[in-house]
Amino acid sequence: MIHQYKDSVKKVDNEEKMSGMAIFTGDIKMDDAYFAIPVRSSISYGKLLKINVPNLPKDYSFISAKDIPGENVCNIIASDWPVFADKEVHYKGETIGIIVGPNKEKCLELAALVECEHKEFEPVFEMVNSYVHKEFKKGNPDKVFANAKKTFSESFSTGYQEQIYLEPQAMLMYLDGEKITIKASMQCPFYIKKAVVRVLNCSEDKVRVIQPAVGGAFGGKEHYPSLMAAQLAIAIVKIKKPLKMIFDRKEDITFTTKRHPSKTEITAYLDEKDNILGVKIHVGIDGGAYVGCSMVVLSRALIACNNTYTFENVHVIGDAYCTNKVPSAAFRGFGSPQSIFAMELFINHLADFLHVKPLDLRNKYLVKTGDITPTNGIYRDPIILKELMDKAMEMSDYKRKLAEYSKPGSNRGIGMSTFLHGCGFTGSGESTIINAQLKIKKDKNDIVTFYTSQVDFGQGNRTTLKRIVVDTLGIPEDHVIYDAPDTDITLSTGPTAASRTIIIVGGLAAKAARHLKEIWKDGEEQEIVEPYVGPDFIKWDEDTMQGDAYPGYAWGVNVVEVSFDPLTYEVNIEGCWSTYDVGHAIDERILMGQADGGLAQALGWAYLEKEEAENGMFKQKTLSDYVIPTMVDLPKMETALIDNPFPYGAFGAKGAGELTFAGGAPAFAIALEQAIKHKVHKIPATPEYIMEILENED
Amino acid sequence: MINHFVPKNLKEALTILNKHDCYIMNGGTDLMVQKHVSTGLLPKFDKDVLYINNLKELDYIKKDEEGIHIGASTRYVEIENSPLIPNIYKRVIKEIASPNIRNMATISGNIANASPAGDTLVPLVLNDAEVVLTSANGERKMKVDEFVYGVRKIHREKNELISEIVLKPQELSYFYRKVGSRKAESITKVSFLGGVKIENKVIKDFRVSFGSVAIKTVRNREIENKYIGRNINELDINEVINDYAPLVTPITDQRSNKEYRHKVAMNLLKKFVMDIKEGGINE
Amino acid sequence: MKISFILNKKNVEVDVSPSMRLLDVVRDVLGLTGTKEGCGEGECGACTVLVNDEPYNSCLTPIINVANKEVMTIEGFRETKSYRIIADAFASQGGSQCGFCTPGMILATYAVLKKNPHPSEEEARLALSGNLCRCTGYQAIVDAVMLAAKKGIEL
Repeated sequence: MIHQYKDSVKKVDNEEKMSGMAIFTGDIKMDDAYFAIPVRSSISYGKLLKINVPNLPKDYSFISAKDIPGENVCNIIASDWPVFADKEVHYKGETIGIIVGPNKEKCLELAALVECEHKEFEPVFEMVNSYVHKEFKKGNPDKVFANAKKTFSESFSTGYQEQIYLEPQAMLMYLDGEKITIKASMQCPFYIKKAVVRVLNCSEDKVRVIQPAVGGAFGGKEHYPSLMAAQLAIAIVKIKKPLKMIFDRKEDITFTTKRHPSKTEITAYLDEKDNILGVKIHVGIDGGAYVGCSMVVLSRALIACNNTYTFENVHVIGDAYCTNKVPSAAFRGFGSPQSIFAMELFINHLADFLHVKPLDLRNKYLVKTGDITPTNGIYRDPIILKELMDKAMEMSDYKRKLAEYSKPGSNRGIGMSTFLHGCGFTGSGESTIINAQLKIKKDKNDIVTFYTSQVDFGQGNRTTLKRIVVDTLGIPEDHVIYDAPDTDITLSTGPTAASRTIIIVGGLAAKAARHLKEIWKDGEEQEIVEPYVGPDFIKWDEDTMQGDAYPGYAWGVNVVEVSFDPLTYEVNIEGCWSTYDVGHAIDERILMGQADGGLAQALGWAYLEKEEAENGMFKQKTLSDYVIPTMVDLPKMETALIDNPFPYGAFGAKGAGELTFAGGAPAFAIALEQAIKHKVHKIPATPEYIMEILENED
Repeated sequence: MINHFVPKNLKEALTILNKHDCYIMNGGTDLMVQKHVSTGLLPKFDKDVLYINNLKELDYIKKDEEGIHIGASTRYVEIENSPLIPNIYKRVIKEIASPNIRNMATISGNIANASPAGDTLVPLVLNDAEVVLTSANGERKMKVDEFVYGVRKIHREKNELISEIVLKPQELSYFYRKVGSRKAESITKVSFLGGVKIENKVIKDFRVSFGSVAIKTVRNREIENKYIGRNINELDINEVINDYAPLVTPITDQRSNKEYRHKVAMNLLKKFVMDIKEGGINE
Repeated sequence: MKISFILNKKNVEVDVSPSMRLLDVVRDVLGLTGTKEGCGEGECGACTVLVNDEPYNSCLTPIINVANKEVMTIEGFRETKSYRIIADAFASQGGSQCGFCTPGMILATYAVLKKNPHPSEEEARLALSGNLCRCTGYQAIVDAVMLAAKKGIEL
């Protein structure tokens, strides 16, 4: 269908991207840059006794932990991931050092000659050793559960997922006088800056990060570039040559961070009338060798684990497990899709167990405005989930299809999921950790310039944030300048993550623009630095996981229809219909791009994208083996937005980036269950897994 | 020192091959992946390379009484668009890789690459297609089925070039299924091709080949002959399955597992036989 | 060795190994960085260029294979009327997000429409199945192709 978007403006970066003129990191010409090639651990766990470096020709160096002037810590959220493995190695592929030099081929050759002497330890690949444990309760679960008449328990698991941003990780670093200047494919310029400052123990003004065009990120460029930057920074202070580290796809898939695999166990406690008294949920995620950001991913997974349902008594337990594998980190959804997948399937299975219709059971426990969240906060905004469901059912002809596909001999299925996403950083993180500050200024010609540290890696925020300021000020578009972040000019408005860009930074931009308008004096230079102030109702205790976890929630419904081939166990997606409440969509076309894109990634995670670790190493290392959906694997997608303006966001907008990922996998799995007439407990639901289900249960 | 030879014509190519052991670069879609090192670096070869993709003499499709002759540098896209090519080949080729790759890749390259997952090998083997091997000393022909004898193993002498493929049109009805990792750009996990000719319920010809389930494309003439001459009503599905099951010996790798490959191969065989019994093969 | 071909309607000659990837020739030797490398193994299509009007994966093309042929990269194509129509269609439907796949996608769109000016959605999807995009879920790209087809790409 060809769309006429009434409320959309031309994307500011359309022309440069379509014409090939946009300059991505790898496109930046710097002929004198040295190449940096990682030397990686060949073992999963052990003591690093000695590094044997071959004789290096002139102009070639080996940079390792011994060269670090500051702390050997990659500044992620936890401080446990070393920049270079030093006394021990904790996963296969961990960086021991880098070879830098002018000729790439020679660097590769030399890197292959570096040998390590180890004392090997027994590695752990399974989720058994917890390094982050969290637990919280709502109501009085201990007492209530003890009096339950029956229980129903199930366990669900989800696999790794690689981001497959089309542009692999890339970084260029050079010295501008004394200043280390970094251009990279990234999400968070200030994360990179902090990581360099920490590893070099230098002052903040010695590091500058500038964002070129970024070819996709999805969480995969939230933390990993900090590691690359820290490694290159150690080299650059030593050899004083420009450096570049650009990963080939294989290196990117094999060694960069992925979505956490998960295992979720849920037990429902029921009374004699089959009312759900409460649920006990354990979410386990595989964090890999270092914590990195896993505790925050775990938090999100736990907070979201009741999904769109309200249960009176809840006991939530979570563990992030240490395994000797590549650390897992951010990917769209940040833990919540894993626990939402489990809850959506669980509620459906529980309905079967209780011999009631899944839709009836869901409706009975569906979240309503004023309900208490699992962390004892309050769902404050008007909740329009029922409307979203009705609309999605109407668009997809859900009820007719559901009945028809239940008939024996049908190889089709239709599934519906409901889901939510908490926007912004968890809890009071926006006020206590990030403390965004947005600068807006006006010159004598009344040209307004504003700055954020938000990266546009395709989401369209360069367009939308600019539009928020233009519309607030009510001045022509070409009177507002808004460029990509440069840490020497921009104040930090925080990372481009957590669906916070529009709801938080957009809100901040609108507020700054409003304040500028209030004091506006034609022909005068004016400047405002607007600090973020969170809504005062947000109270959050990170230690006890109690309070309001997010300033606002966005909601959605996905319906997925599938067909199944009993000869080959292959599944085809026949249709997708979605409805969303993202508050008010500022730019409908951009929003639709988020809707389709998030769902496509979720469907890939649900049935195609298999990443297995074998002996601590990923088995699928290339784009031909780690397969993401092509144009023919996905059907036509239809999406409707229902307006429900959010009082605290710019122009009523909430976050939308991660929401659209949350429901694809459960809707797919529920549809698949109907098509194959068997229960699913794991994704990716590959044909091999489906065969196993059918063979085992027949 | 690695030599790169760019011959002007076939004769020159053959003269070079007479003196040098070479990789033969055609469309490049396999060799350029296998020899790739890293962005910005030249592919790394351990012996000389001969480039034949531009040889006009090898770019043709023509038909005579012997069969349909496809020159070695003819690309898939040309084969897909040629009225001379039997539909079964077009059907198979349409599901190979992507349109971009099919603009570049050649059927001779698919044979020479000798991957167990090589999709064209399945119809080539089933339909008794031949390769023409040319050297400075002359030419010889060989059935594709014999020419490819293992994983990346072919009976090409160092001085020879696959100059042509000869398709032998058959009077068969076909049942083909490629099962890959996704619907396009997919590497085959298992593929099946059955061909049959039935007259008055009597099987006049019966052929089966499987791809990606053994070190080379599976075809067994002894089993096929057993069923030729049978009435379709006397065709026993279990008997056919039992005959073929031991020949299907797939592996577990990063793309699939042996249990799945075996099971699907047998499901497709079963479907083929059932369709024959119901008189329903008409592709 | 010296290899000549026509690049964006101009004769060029490069002195490189015949094995050099067309992708590296256009990016590194000739400095045209609109052609992207997303995988280096012919899966993603970000490196798509047109060779005699057919889309090729330049990451798998040894430069000698295009000797004396016409190669068109996005730098040449963006000067054409067809580009304007396709680019406007992409803009109107939201077919470009991060932009890394976009130049390849636009060239592939041109090749599809040149071969089949009025494809069905299914034909359009099949014809572009060698170009991966991780941002859009493809719907907006398919819509853009259909819109460009409707407008006619002025061949």
